[in-house]
Amino acid sequence: MKNTIKIERAIAELTQAELAKKISVSRQTINAMEANKYVPSTVLALKIAKVFNKPVEEIFILDELD
Amino acid sequence: MKQKLLFPNKYKRLGWLILIPATILGIFLMFNNFEGMRFITKVFAIIGNENLDENKYFTFVKADITNTVVGVLFIVGALLVGFSKEKNEDEYISNLRLTSLLWAVFINYLLLLFCFIFIYGLEFINVMLYNMFTVLIIFIGRFNYVLYRNSKSMSNEEYN
Repeated sequence: MKNTIKIERAIAELTQAELAKKISVSRQTINAMEANKYVPSTVLALKIAKVFNKPVEEIFILDELD
Repeated sequence: MKQKLLFPNKYKRLGWLILIPATILGIFLMFNNFEGMRFITKVFAIIGNENLDENKYFTFVKADITNTVVGVLFIVGALLVGFSKEKNEDEYISNLRLTSLLWAVFINYLLLLFCFIFIYGLEFINVMLYNMFTVLIIFIGRFNYVLYRNSKSMSNEEYN
Protein backbone atom coordinates (compact mmCIF):
# COMPACT_ATOMS: atom_id res chain seq x y z
CA MET A 1 0.00 0.00 0.00
CA LYS A 2 1.23 3.47 -0.86
CA ASN A 3 0.29 6.66 0.91
CA THR A 4 0.52 10.39 0.40
CA ILE A 5 1.05 11.36 4.02
CA LYS A 6 4.28 13.19 3.29
CA ILE A 7 2.64 15.30 0.58
CA GLU A 8 -0.44 16.01 2.65
CA ARG A 9 1.79 16.97 5.52
CA ALA A 10 3.68 19.44 3.33
CA ILE A 11 0.40 20.96 2.12
CA ALA A 12 -0.88 21.30 5.68
CA GLU A 13 2.56 22.54 6.82
CA LEU A 14 2.83 20.00 9.59
CA THR A 15 6.07 18.42 10.81
CA GLN A 16 6.20 14.69 11.59
CA ALA A 17 6.17 15.53 15.27
CA GLU A 18 3.11 17.78 14.98
CA LEU A 19 1.14 15.20 13.03
CA ALA A 20 2.23 12.51 15.50
CA LYS A 21 0.90 14.60 18.37
CA LYS A 22 -2.44 15.26 16.66
CA ILE A 23 -3.17 11.55 16.27
CA SER A 24 -1.36 10.53 19.48
CA VAL A 25 1.27 8.19 18.07
CA SER A 26 5.07 8.35 18.15
CA ARG A 27 7.08 10.18 15.50
CA GLN A 28 8.61 6.83 14.58
CA THR A 29 5.19 5.66 13.42
CA ILE A 30 4.76 8.61 11.03
CA ASN A 31 8.28 8.08 9.78
CA ALA A 32 7.72 4.36 9.21
CA MET A 33 4.44 4.97 7.35
CA GLU A 34 6.00 7.58 5.07
CA ALA A 35 8.83 5.16 4.31
CA ASN A 36 6.20 2.52 3.47
CA LYS A 37 7.61 0.30 6.20
CA TYR A 38 4.40 0.17 8.19
CA VAL A 39 0.75 -0.20 7.23
CA PRO A 40 -1.36 1.54 9.88
CA SER A 41 -4.46 0.09 11.50
CA THR A 42 -7.85 1.19 10.18
CA VAL A 43 -8.31 3.39 13.24
CA LEU A 44 -5.07 5.21 12.61
CA ALA A 45 -5.75 5.57 8.86
CA LEU A 46 -9.14 7.13 9.66
CA LYS A 47 -7.54 9.50 12.17
CA ILE A 48 -4.98 10.63 9.61
CA ALA A 49 -7.67 11.20 6.98
CA LYS A 50 -9.60 13.26 9.51
CA VAL A 51 -6.60 15.50 10.21
CA PHE A 52 -6.16 16.23 6.50
CA ASN A 53 -9.90 16.44 5.97
CA LYS A 54 -9.91 14.01 3.06
CA PRO A 55 -11.39 10.57 2.40
CA VAL A 56 -9.09 7.70 3.43
CA GLU A 57 -8.67 6.38 -0.10
CA GLU A 58 -7.17 9.64 -1.25
CA ILE A 59 -4.37 9.22 1.25
CA PHE A 60 -3.92 5.44 1.23
CA ILE A 61 -3.75 3.75 -2.16
CA LEU A 62 -3.47 0.02 -2.91
CA ASP A 63 -0.55 -0.97 -5.13
CA GLU A 64 -0.10 -3.97 -7.42
CA LEU A 65 1.36 -6.16 -4.65
CA ASP A 66 -1.69 -5.91 -2.39
CA MET B 1 -5.18 -0.20 19.75
CA LYS B 2 -4.14 -0.47 23.37
CA GLN B 3 -1.85 -3.24 24.59
CA LYS B 4 -3.15 -4.24 27.99
CA LEU B 5 -0.68 -7.00 28.76
CA LEU B 6 2.26 -4.69 29.42
CA PHE B 7 3.73 -3.12 32.56
CA PRO B 8 3.81 0.68 32.84
CA ASN B 9 6.84 2.40 31.35
CA LYS B 10 8.56 3.15 34.67
CA TYR B 11 9.14 -0.56 35.27
CA LYS B 12 11.50 -0.79 32.32
CA ARG B 13 14.13 1.17 34.25
CA LEU B 14 13.60 -0.97 37.33
CA GLY B 15 13.96 -4.00 35.08
CA TRP B 16 17.38 -2.90 33.86
CA LEU B 17 18.44 -2.19 37.46
CA ILE B 18 17.65 -5.83 38.32
CA LEU B 19 18.72 -7.43 35.04
CA ILE B 20 22.22 -5.94 34.80
CA PRO B 21 23.49 -7.08 38.25
CA ALA B 22 21.76 -10.46 37.75
CA THR B 23 23.55 -10.88 34.42
CA ILE B 24 26.92 -10.04 35.98
CA LEU B 25 26.30 -12.51 38.81
CA GLY B 26 25.11 -15.10 36.31
CA ILE B 27 28.27 -14.76 34.22
CA PHE B 28 30.35 -14.99 37.38
CA LEU B 29 28.58 -18.22 38.37
CA MET B 30 28.94 -19.56 34.84
CA PHE B 31 32.73 -19.15 34.90
CA ASN B 32 32.91 -20.88 38.28
CA ASN B 33 30.88 -23.92 37.26
CA PHE B 34 28.02 -22.64 39.41
CA GLU B 35 30.08 -23.21 42.54
CA GLY B 36 31.56 -19.74 43.01
CA MET B 37 29.22 -18.79 45.82
CA ARG B 38 27.19 -20.79 48.27
CA PHE B 39 24.15 -19.72 50.17
CA ILE B 40 22.60 -22.72 51.87
CA THR B 41 19.32 -22.32 53.68
CA LYS B 42 16.04 -24.04 54.38
CA VAL B 43 13.46 -23.41 51.70
CA PHE B 44 9.95 -24.56 51.00
CA ALA B 45 9.82 -27.03 48.11
CA ILE B 46 6.94 -28.58 46.23
CA ILE B 47 9.36 -31.27 45.11
CA GLY B 48 12.87 -31.40 46.51
CA ASN B 49 15.62 -33.77 47.42
CA GLU B 50 18.63 -33.25 49.62
CA ASN B 51 21.79 -35.22 48.83
CA LEU B 52 20.18 -36.99 45.87
CA ASP B 53 18.07 -39.33 48.01
CA GLU B 54 14.33 -39.78 47.77
CA ASN B 55 12.06 -36.95 46.68
CA LYS B 56 10.19 -35.04 49.35
CA TYR B 57 6.95 -33.27 48.63
CA PHE B 58 5.50 -30.04 50.06
CA THR B 59 8.04 -29.69 52.79
CA PHE B 60 11.09 -27.69 53.83
CA VAL B 61 14.43 -28.83 52.46
CA LYS B 62 17.99 -27.62 52.80
CA ALA B 63 19.33 -26.28 49.53
CA ASP B 64 21.93 -24.00 47.96
CA ILE B 65 19.77 -21.18 46.66
CA THR B 66 22.48 -19.12 44.91
CA ASN B 67 21.42 -20.22 41.44
CA THR B 68 17.78 -19.83 42.38
CA VAL B 69 18.23 -16.23 43.49
CA VAL B 70 20.29 -15.23 40.45
CA GLY B 71 17.93 -17.02 38.07
CA VAL B 72 14.85 -15.44 39.62
CA LEU B 73 16.38 -11.97 39.50
CA PHE B 74 17.38 -12.49 35.88
CA ILE B 75 13.92 -13.64 34.82
CA VAL B 76 12.09 -10.90 36.75
CA GLY B 77 14.45 -8.24 35.38
CA ALA B 78 14.17 -9.55 31.83
CA LEU B 79 10.36 -9.73 32.02
CA LEU B 80 10.19 -6.12 33.23
CA VAL B 81 12.58 -4.92 30.53
CA GLY B 82 10.92 -6.87 27.75
CA PHE B 83 7.30 -6.34 28.70
CA SER B 84 7.10 -2.77 29.96
CA LYS B 85 5.59 -0.14 27.72
CA GLU B 86 7.90 2.18 25.85
CA LYS B 87 7.54 5.88 26.66
CA ASN B 88 5.79 6.33 23.31
CA GLU B 89 4.07 2.96 23.04
CA ASP B 90 1.65 2.93 20.09
CA GLU B 91 0.51 0.44 17.46
CA TYR B 92 3.76 0.59 15.48
CA ILE B 93 5.91 -0.03 18.57
CA SER B 94 3.58 -2.90 19.54
CA ASN B 95 4.06 -4.27 16.05
CA LEU B 96 7.85 -4.09 16.42
CA ARG B 97 7.56 -5.78 19.81
CA LEU B 98 5.51 -8.68 18.48
CA THR B 99 7.72 -9.09 15.42
CA SER B 100 10.78 -9.21 17.67
CA LEU B 101 9.12 -11.82 19.83
CA LEU B 102 8.33 -13.97 16.80
CA TRP B 103 11.88 -13.56 15.60
CA ALA B 104 13.28 -14.48 19.04
CA VAL B 105 11.21 -17.66 19.41
CA PHE B 106 12.12 -18.75 15.89
CA ILE B 107 15.88 -18.10 16.27
CA ASN B 108 15.87 -19.68 19.71
CA TYR B 109 14.43 -22.93 18.40
CA LEU B 110 16.78 -22.97 15.43
CA LEU B 111 19.67 -22.72 17.89
CA LEU B 112 18.15 -25.41 20.07
CA LEU B 113 17.64 -27.65 17.06
CA PHE B 114 21.29 -27.21 16.14
CA CYS B 115 22.39 -28.07 19.70
CA PHE B 116 20.01 -31.04 19.80
CA ILE B 117 21.63 -32.53 16.74
CA PHE B 118 25.27 -31.77 17.49
CA ILE B 119 25.68 -31.86 21.27
CA TYR B 120 25.64 -35.16 23.15
CA GLY B 121 26.24 -36.47 26.63
CA LEU B 122 26.47 -34.45 29.82
CA GLU B 123 27.20 -31.23 27.94
CA PHE B 124 23.57 -31.20 26.88
CA ILE B 125 22.66 -30.13 30.42
CA ASN B 126 24.39 -26.85 29.66
CA VAL B 127 22.30 -26.44 26.54
CA MET B 128 19.13 -26.89 28.60
CA LEU B 129 20.44 -24.47 31.19
CA TYR B 130 21.15 -21.64 28.75
CA ASN B 131 18.03 -22.33 26.76
CA MET B 132 15.93 -21.35 29.79
CA PHE B 133 17.04 -17.77 29.24
CA THR B 134 17.83 -17.40 25.56
CA VAL B 135 14.30 -16.55 24.33
CA LEU B 136 14.18 -13.55 26.65
CA ILE B 137 17.74 -12.50 25.84
CA ILE B 138 17.24 -12.69 22.07
CA PHE B 139 13.88 -10.91 22.33
CA ILE B 140 15.22 -8.02 24.41
CA GLY B 141 18.28 -7.70 22.18
CA ARG B 142 16.28 -7.73 18.96
CA PHE B 143 13.53 -5.37 20.16
CA ASN B 144 15.92 -2.77 21.52
CA TYR B 145 18.10 -3.00 18.41
CA VAL B 146 15.06 -2.36 16.17
CA LEU B 147 13.98 0.58 18.33
CA TYR B 148 17.50 2.00 18.21
CA ARG B 149 17.74 1.58 14.43
CA ASN B 150 14.40 3.35 14.05
CA SER B 151 15.27 6.33 16.18
CA LYS B 152 18.56 6.59 14.33
CA SER B 153 16.99 6.62 10.88
CA MET B 154 14.74 9.43 12.09
CA SER B 155 17.35 11.81 13.40
CA ASN B 156 18.90 11.82 9.92
CA GLU B 157 15.86 13.64 8.60
CA GLU B 158 15.95 16.67 10.82
CA TYR B 159 13.57 18.88 8.90
CA ASN B 160 10.65 16.72 8.07
